[in-house]
Amino acid sequence: MLLITGPLFAGKRECAAKLLGVPMERLADLAVWDVQDLAAAAPDLTALADALAARPVVIATEVGGGVVPVDPAQRAAREAAGRLSCLLAARAETVVRVCCGIPQLLKGEWPC
Amino acid sequence: MFTLLIGGSASGKSDLAEGMVCRLPGPRVYIATMQAFDDECRARIARHRARRAGKGFSTVESPLAAQLAGVPAGANALLECLSNLAANEMYDPAGQGPEAALAGVLALAARCPHLTVVTNEVFSGGADYEGDTLSYLRALAGINRALAARADRVAEVVCGLPNWLKGGPA
Repeated sequence: MLLITGPLFAGKRECAAKLLGVPMERLADLAVWDVQDLAAAAPDLTALADALAARPVVIATEVGGGVVPVDPAQRAAREAAGRLSCLLAARAETVVRVCCGIPQLLKGEWPC
Repeated sequence: MFTLLIGGSASGKSDLAEGMVCRLPGPRVYIATMQAFDDECRARIARHRARRAGKGFSTVESPLAAQLAGVPAGANALLECLSNLAANEMYDPAGQGPEAALAGVLALAARCPHLTVVTNEVFSGGADYEGDTLSYLRALAGINRALAARADRVAEVVCGLPNWLKGGPA
C-alpha cells in the first residue's frame, strides 16, 4: 500500500494520480482519500487501518498541527486521525508526503 | 532563479530568506505586502524593518500585485509574504482576486534574476473551516502549488533550516 499524506489542499490526489500514471477520474478505482475523517467514528482504529491497508493507495490529510482544539469531540477526532495515519504508515510499503504539490519520499521506494 | 519558501509562524523563514538574498551580488529589493491596519501590524513591520537595516535592501510597498511593477528590473527581490498579497487581492476593496496575486508573482519571476517568495504553512491545523477562511485557504494553497510548480527550488522551513522539496542550495 502507498500512503500519501500532507497538509490540507497540498495537491495529494493530483500527486497520487501522477505517481500512479492514471487520470484523476480513475483515481477512485485505486485510492481512498480523506481517511482522517473515518478515524473519529471507528470503534477499532487497528481494524480500520488493516481494512484500509488492503487498498493500493490511501490518502490522509495531516490535521494535527496548530493548537489542540478546546472541543472534546474535535480533540478526540484529531487524536484518532493522527493515530490512524501512524498505523497506516506502519502498514505501508511506501509513504509519500506532499507539500505545495511536491512529493517527498518518507518511507520505501518511489512507485514506478 | 526562483525560490519559494514555505513555513509556519515564527519558523525562521524571513531570516533564512534574507540571508539567502544577501549572499547574492547586485541590488536587493524587499517587497513588503503587509498593510498597517493596527498597532500589532505596525510593530511587526517595525521589527522586520529593524532586522533588514544595514543589509542593503531598498523597499517596494506592494500590498497589491499591481504595485509589483515598481520593482526595478534586474533586482534580486524578496517578496514577503505571499499570504498577505493573496489576502489583500481577495479582500481589499481594490483587490482583483487571488489570480491577480499569482499572475503578478509569475510576471515578477520572469524579470528578476533572483526572486525569493515567502509563504505561510497554514494547512496542517485541521479541516474544520468554513466561509471566507476556507476560500482563503483553498486560494492560497492553489497559488502555493502553482508557484511551487514554476519555482526552481522549494523548501519548507523548519527552525530556520530549509527542508528542500525541489532543487537545493545554490
